[in-house]
Amino acid sequence: MALTAKFVKTQELLFELRVADVMRRDVITVRPDQTMTELRRILRDHRISGTPVAAGDELVGMITIADLIAFLNSDEEEALIGDKMTANPDSLFSDQLLVHAIQQFDATRFGRFPVLDPRSRKLVGILTKGLIIEGMLRAMEQAFQEEEIRQYRASHIFEDMVAEYKEIYLTYELVGRDFDRAGKASTQMKRNLKRLGIRPDIIHRLAVASYEAEMNTVLYAESGVMEFRIAPEEIVMRLRDRGPGIADVEKAKQPGYSGAPEWVREMGFGAGMGIPNIIKCADRIDLQSTVGVGTTLSVRIFTGAGANRAGDEGGGT
Amino acid sequence: MTLREVVEELSAEVLHGAEEELNGTVATVAAGDLMSDVLTRATIADLLVTGLSNMQTIRTATVAGIKSIVIVRGKPVSPQMIDLAREEDLVLMVTGMKLFEAAGRLWARGLRTGETRA
Repeated sequence: MALTAKFVKTQELLFELRVADVMRRDVITVRPDQTMTELRRILRDHRISGTPVAAGDELVGMITIADLIAFLNSDEEEALIGDKMTANPDSLFSDQLLVHAIQQFDATRFGRFPVLDPRSRKLVGILTKGLIIEGMLRAMEQAFQEEEIRQYRASHIFEDMVAEYKEIYLTYELVGRDFDRAGKASTQMKRNLKRLGIRPDIIHRLAVASYEAEMNTVLYAESGVMEFRIAPEEIVMRLRDRGPGIADVEKAKQPGYSGAPEWVREMGFGAGMGIPNIIKCADRIDLQSTVGVGTTLSVRIFTGAGANRAGDEGGGT
Repeated sequence: MTLREVVEELSAEVLHGAEEELNGTVATVAAGDLMSDVLTRATIADLLVTGLSNMQTIRTATVAGIKSIVIVRGKPVSPQMIDLAREEDLVLMVTGMKLFEAAGRLWARGLRTGETRA
């Protein structure tokens, strides 16, 4: 799946790029009052196979090597570019998405398009298939480097910082009953841990524990603060919420114990598996709750060399 | 089995997923409406088959490391779910079949849970 994932990234890039990002700005142009003989010299000198015809910075036509060949095969001794060009040529606007430009290349089979400024309608560049490929490669290279740099920076942060104790805190605010955002904190945290270079099986355990805990807060509490303390040997998640609290903490740790109303079950939760799941993922948990005030849950996962592998029975409380 | 074959087997409609992504193969499946059950798996499944169609379906797959989702019973899928699937690089499809039939057909094509029975 790694390769296909890259393809998707390429498509996304395609939707971010605009014609102006990849077009050539220093366009070679000819005037309609120049001769075809002059055109022949210009195409040869610049090694191009076509060029816009402009009067001032006003686009008036396109002329290509095909037009030149047709002229050379005719009986005419000389002709003006203005008489042989394609007048009112198809053009692109500089603010158009590159994907749309590519569709236009496909639909017309033209090798090049003049690019106009969308407001002034003046000629500001030219776009060829070659320039599209070049621009795409440049953008991909840049995106790739940016992510590499981010990963490198993050994964070396503990080595690069010199201190007696080194810890990173990530804090997320949770809002009760906000189901569109529920789980966002846990997925963001998961992405951050990947960048930090944490072992994937540890990330998985932490992400599951954190997501179950986050859902509990969103489902039952008014609000909460979820904090991750990332140290070289362990990661500790602490979630404090303001809400109804849990009446019987020991019972809540038992699989299948749930006081969830029907609508929670309709959300795909509420079967009394949340806290047992968290216990399963954690090396240590601490659950404190006061009815009518709120709940504080701490989950500790060891990350050092001897840390549990996924599937090992973690689970002390 | 490729995702494209899953689409055909289940007569599913792909809501998000590029052509190249549908060439990806799947071997293991998590099926169920209870997200906690999906999260508690010991191994990471390739595909989630579920009757739950809300934002938590996508979030659960992301957290559990599952890269593709089939929503069953033709449940409506919100535009926000499709946006989130795009953001998280997940393949998302919907079929009119019930969970039992969808799971049965995939089993018959050789897909398994990927977990040893306790």
